[in-house]
Amino acid sequence: MTTAPTYDRTAEQLAADALIRELAALPAGAPGRERLRERAIEAWVPMANRLARRFSGRGEPSDDLQQTAMVGLIKAVDRYDADRGIDFAAYAIPTIIGEIKRHFRDRTWSVRVPRRLQELRLAINDANNVLTHTLGRAPTVADIAAHLGVTEEEVLEGLEGARAYQATSLATPTGGDTGTMELGDTLGEDDHGFALAELRLDLGPAMATLDERERRILTLRFYGNQTQTQIAEQLGISQMHVSRLISRALGRLRTRMG
Amino acid sequence: MTEQSQPAFDDDVVLLTVPADGGYLGVLRTATAGLAARLHFALDEIEDLRIAVDEACAMLLAVAVRDAELCCRFAVTDDALTVEVTVPTVRGARLPAESSFAWKVLTALTTAASAEATGTSATIRLLTRRTAP
Repeated sequence: MTTAPTYDRTAEQLAADALIRELAALPAGAPGRERLRERAIEAWVPMANRLARRFSGRGEPSDDLQQTAMVGLIKAVDRYDADRGIDFAAYAIPTIIGEIKRHFRDRTWSVRVPRRLQELRLAINDANNVLTHTLGRAPTVADIAAHLGVTEEEVLEGLEGARAYQATSLATPTGGDTGTMELGDTLGEDDHGFALAELRLDLGPAMATLDERERRILTLRFYGNQTQTQIAEQLGISQMHVSRLISRALGRLRTRMG
Repeated sequence: MTEQSQPAFDDDVVLLTVPADGGYLGVLRTATAGLAARLHFALDEIEDLRIAVDEACAMLLAVAVRDAELCCRFAVTDDALTVEVTVPTVRGARLPAESSFAWKVLTALTTAASAEATGTSATIRLLTRRTAP
């Protein structure tokens, strides 16, 4: 990939981009550079905070998270090399997420998946969410690799690693809690009962091994013909999470029906 | 893809044989994903295909003879990937009926799925065409 994807930017983002470019063009120790650096950092604080918020609700005080994100942002500003042709956001996001991840690892995580895969998995998940919105379609592996500045092989490895890693889900569902949304909300009125009845007919007693959300996802995917990305949007969870839930549900059905 | 942005090969074939054991399915999934990535499949299409490969292999493992090998043949065109998995089976083995849930899963996750059981071996063929241009 030679070109990074282009995004629609707001005026503030354009201004923030311009500050970074200006800063990168100034040699170290140039007069006014320190002041410019501060302004550039300030301009990007909203993004750092947004990233920090994504990790909230996992038992870490949000002040700590914001501070950690700031450390990541400052590192990104200081290390960014505009000559490499990568967009600053594309460079800074993984740097900031990396910093937050290290913070979690050092402070709170006790998971046994290799750290590198863990980080990669989260970075891919985030990149997937971001790119789905900025590109307006499900991203390819090449898109994600370019966005994160890693190779396609690494992305593939991260995806496979994600499947091995199902014990503790970090992608906490926000809008998809059991009972808050019924199948009828996501399917047409007529389709709903029909699709569910069809699933029940096909699965028989094994249907009981599925919880409400799994039933909904399987119905949408296999009877409603919706893509994983569409289902993810409806349930307010990530596409990778949908994929894991489908895999897990099918695995369980297999042992019950096989 | 650094070597060429617009792959223009037709019907490249990749062959891969692994022991017919669940522990090796990860290798098949990763190979599948790698080839699908080459074709610029979207991430959710790749995930669908991985799940389909899992499901197909689970069907085949259920009827495989002891110490068998799963033979995979990947055919790559410029916009489609065909994964064909074959395993020697116990005599008279049959695959799940086309009306079964497992089969519904395979057909929903791919562009086309078909199966063949000869009495001594079984093959499942999954064709996936990239949706985006």
